[in-house]
Amino acid sequence: MSKHRNKLWYLVFVLPLFIIFATVVLIPFVIGIFYSFFEWDGFSANPMVYVGLDNYIELIDDGRFVNSAWLTLEFTILSLVLVNVLGLGFALLVTSAFKSANFARTMFFMPNLIGGLILGYIWQFIFSDGFRIIGDLTGNEEVFRNWLTDRDLAMYALVIVFSWQMAGYMMIIYIAGIQSIPGEVMEAAEIDGANYWQRLKNIVMPLLMPALTISLFLTLSFSFKIYDVNLSLTSGGPANSTELLAMHIYNEIFGYNNYGYGQAKAIIFFIVIAAITLVQVYMTKKREVEM
Amino acid sequence: MKFNKLFFTLFVAAMLVLAACGGNGDDAESGVNEDGEVEQISVFQSKVEISEPLEELAEMYEEETGIEVDVWGTTGDDYLSQLQVRLNSNQGPSIMTVQNIQVADQLDSYLYDLSDMSLADDVAPEMGLEYEDRLVGLPYGIEGFGLVYNKDLVDPEDITDYESFVQALQDFEEEGINGLTLSQEAYFLIGHISNYPFSLQDDYMGFIDQLNDGEVAMSETPEFQEFGQFMEAIREHTVNPLDVNYDRQVGDFVNGETAMIHQGNWVVSMLNDYDLDFEVGLMPFPLDGNDKQIVGVGGNWGVNANKEQAEIDAAKDFLEWLHNSDVGQEYMVDEFNHVPGFTHIDADGLDPLAQEVLDASNSGDTIPWAHNYYPADIVPNDLAPATEEFFLDDSMTGEEFIERLDEVWEGATR
Amino acid sequence: MRLFKKYLKEILLVVGALVFLSPVYIMLVNSFKSRSELYENVLALPETLTFEHYIRAMDRMNFGLAFFNSLVITIISVVIIVILSSMTAWMLVRKDNTLSRIIFMTFIATMLIPFQTIMMPLIQFMDQIMSTTGLPMLNTRSGLIFMHVGFNASLAVFLYHGFIKSIPVSLEESAEIDGANKFTVFWKIIFPILKPITVTVIILNVIQIWNDYLLPSLVLTDQSLRTIPLATFYFFGEFTIQWNQAMAGLVLTIIPVVIFYVFAQKHIIRGIGEGAVK
Repeated sequence: MSKHRNKLWYLVFVLPLFIIFATVVLIPFVIGIFYSFFEWDGFSANPMVYVGLDNYIELIDDGRFVNSAWLTLEFTILSLVLVNVLGLGFALLVTSAFKSANFARTMFFMPNLIGGLILGYIWQFIFSDGFRIIGDLTGNEEVFRNWLTDRDLAMYALVIVFSWQMAGYMMIIYIAGIQSIPGEVMEAAEIDGANYWQRLKNIVMPLLMPALTISLFLTLSFSFKIYDVNLSLTSGGPANSTELLAMHIYNEIFGYNNYGYGQAKAIIFFIVIAAITLVQVYMTKKREVEM
Repeated sequence: MKFNKLFFTLFVAAMLVLAACGGNGDDAESGVNEDGEVEQISVFQSKVEISEPLEELAEMYEEETGIEVDVWGTTGDDYLSQLQVRLNSNQGPSIMTVQNIQVADQLDSYLYDLSDMSLADDVAPEMGLEYEDRLVGLPYGIEGFGLVYNKDLVDPEDITDYESFVQALQDFEEEGINGLTLSQEAYFLIGHISNYPFSLQDDYMGFIDQLNDGEVAMSETPEFQEFGQFMEAIREHTVNPLDVNYDRQVGDFVNGETAMIHQGNWVVSMLNDYDLDFEVGLMPFPLDGNDKQIVGVGGNWGVNANKEQAEIDAAKDFLEWLHNSDVGQEYMVDEFNHVPGFTHIDADGLDPLAQEVLDASNSGDTIPWAHNYYPADIVPNDLAPATEEFFLDDSMTGEEFIERLDEVWEGATR
Repeated sequence: MRLFKKYLKEILLVVGALVFLSPVYIMLVNSFKSRSELYENVLALPETLTFEHYIRAMDRMNFGLAFFNSLVITIISVVIIVILSSMTAWMLVRKDNTLSRIIFMTFIATMLIPFQTIMMPLIQFMDQIMSTTGLPMLNTRSGLIFMHVGFNASLAVFLYHGFIKSIPVSLEESAEIDGANKFTVFWKIIFPILKPITVTVIILNVIQIWNDYLLPSLVLTDQSLRTIPLATFYFFGEFTIQWNQAMAGLVLTIIPVVIFYVFAQKHIIRGIGEGAVK
């Protein structure tokens, strides 16, 4: 009797959201997997030819795809570090006893709201004109030149802009984490004479592990999927040196009109990043301290 | 718990609003009512610049005929992918933009044959979009591009071939003026300027077909070899286009820091935002001594064949009205700023660049736009990255650049 | 000396925040400039403080209606997300069996799918639902809200899941012994405790949904349904972008979110003063 009731409650709590989620995300994703076995240009009136695993076999030799995958990995690692260092740093700063903490908190959060082509325009200006001016002033023209026209530096430019945008987002999550640390624990430590760094290292950081897991995972997922910033800042250039995977797949699907092939790339991409992310979540979860 | 209460109040309020507006926005699938009468048609088009005047025209049309014309919009970049998604899910518009023949090839089964429209007879020669003997698109307007020049600084008589072109760039360089500027956007960097060696072929479509099949190579064709030299001269004597965006390109031109820019007559809308203190002209790009303007059509109106006949007819009626009514014609010239691609529409008071395009088009002494026949999206996806390589790497010769174009072309058409 | 050091720190923080914000400054000043002024100097303050571009932008965007649409869509979506995700996450944590773990992993894994790769099947499937069941999925606010809920559910469940794990079960058990059902236990006991993470979920989802362009642009076609980001498309032409109006439009878009954030952050931040990191 009570067992049935429990099952019923389970359905009441879980089912509504899961149905919506399945309708919007899961089923279209499965349809996408289905398409990946066809050669098709993406117009439903045009012929779809079943090709089995051909699309998957073909992409192993696709140099541009593989190259794009490496670029995405490089981008993700760099962003992962920068975004979280900044985000955690900001969170620690603005939760300290600063008078201007409220002000700073709003300021750090603002970049998150600026997206699209405007973001690209503003940062293109900073990297071209802004850097040139700094270069002239400091005489350090080797560093301060237009990063966006340099095949290696364009990637770093992308990392900087993305981190600038995401740091405030992760800050919010770290703030929530810091806030959930019980005050008594900190007070006790202070009474015991622990200084700021000792408290940070021995109390705050271990208790922040759940927030860290969340932030690392979110940064991973956002940077793997990055598209908007990529498009507006570099459009993949110069000379394809910043064409990250989401953009590469988009171009395959809607630019070259290879729908099935593009979907196959998307599926492989998904499997690889899912594997990487699972490892990450597993590793950080182990270090979480249960309260 | 105060927070909880607030939350629930908000929730109840939200649900009430949702219930109130739930029925809003009836389905876009069909504009035909139960009696088979058309109540609504829709237009999805790629040229953002004409969205607002088009919306005004749509309102006038509804007042006149009672048929609602819904104008959809999106940014210039993602029109085609959005159209694709909509057509695939039976949410297609009644009237849509068909940019060129490559797009017509993809959209083939969605395109209605417009050749029985009375308007079809008025399309200027060669300006209708034909695909497999059907008229599938009516031209938005005629456009031209080339060297847009400052009349105070440049005399077009002086620039007629490769030697005089390079001489002019060198002279300007000595004066501290930038001779010619391209800009970083894919079409402004290579898309438009790459037309000339194709367009100068006797049969550019045949040439592109052969190129796609690997039967010819650009690097073995004289016009392309010279084009490579032109690009080398541009790289040597002018600023790096990758550092210049469209805004800066035009700003420097207005300022007198740049003598010529490679642009089209559309640049006028940008020039109008400045106080221009000199006259501008449009001259042909002198590849292989070319002295003909290059003109073409930037977009076409197509009608969705996957609709009920009544809606198709209504869409055709709207297009007729757009091009035949006085107000429609007036808007086309004055508000859309289009050079009409129709013989029955008078174009008075065009700006000087548009006038030059119209004169050239009327004389018939022009070369065609070849990029409309390039493999779809090859410009941003392949040609632009290759050109960026060329401008980043000074050791790459013009010859090597053309070979690189051959390579990426092959890669794109595999 | 201590006082001086304290003020130095304050100043450094403010200066740091301002440097961080310099791109926002560029956006702000250029929303007041003409194209030629913008070309002359992007960094300079505008010569005259005219709101002409703002007025023009608001007029072209049909701002009042767009604001209403954005507001309705954002509020309803976020409220539904909060209610359903918190319930789901709680149940998934408390009934820790294989099924729950699979469901949770499915939610998480799909966060790695780029939207661009499923947007076409999504709209196709919505059309199918519409034609078979008659539910208004496309070109309606309610359809868009449904999809916003589906796409943002994962993140919310993920955040709630992590938080709920740290709440001791003992609280609930005693209530259940007193005869309260699950529903009452959740709303009376659990949900209030979730407040900090709920505020976080609300903030992150408000930003996401308010600013979203691609999904609404695919779902909504009717002019009268356009949200604020959709309405700014007029400024992004085929060849020419009207930067001043585009930036004015963006400022108009983000002001409501900033105001909301300033109000909402009080709720996450309160409690810190009670002794967390002093």
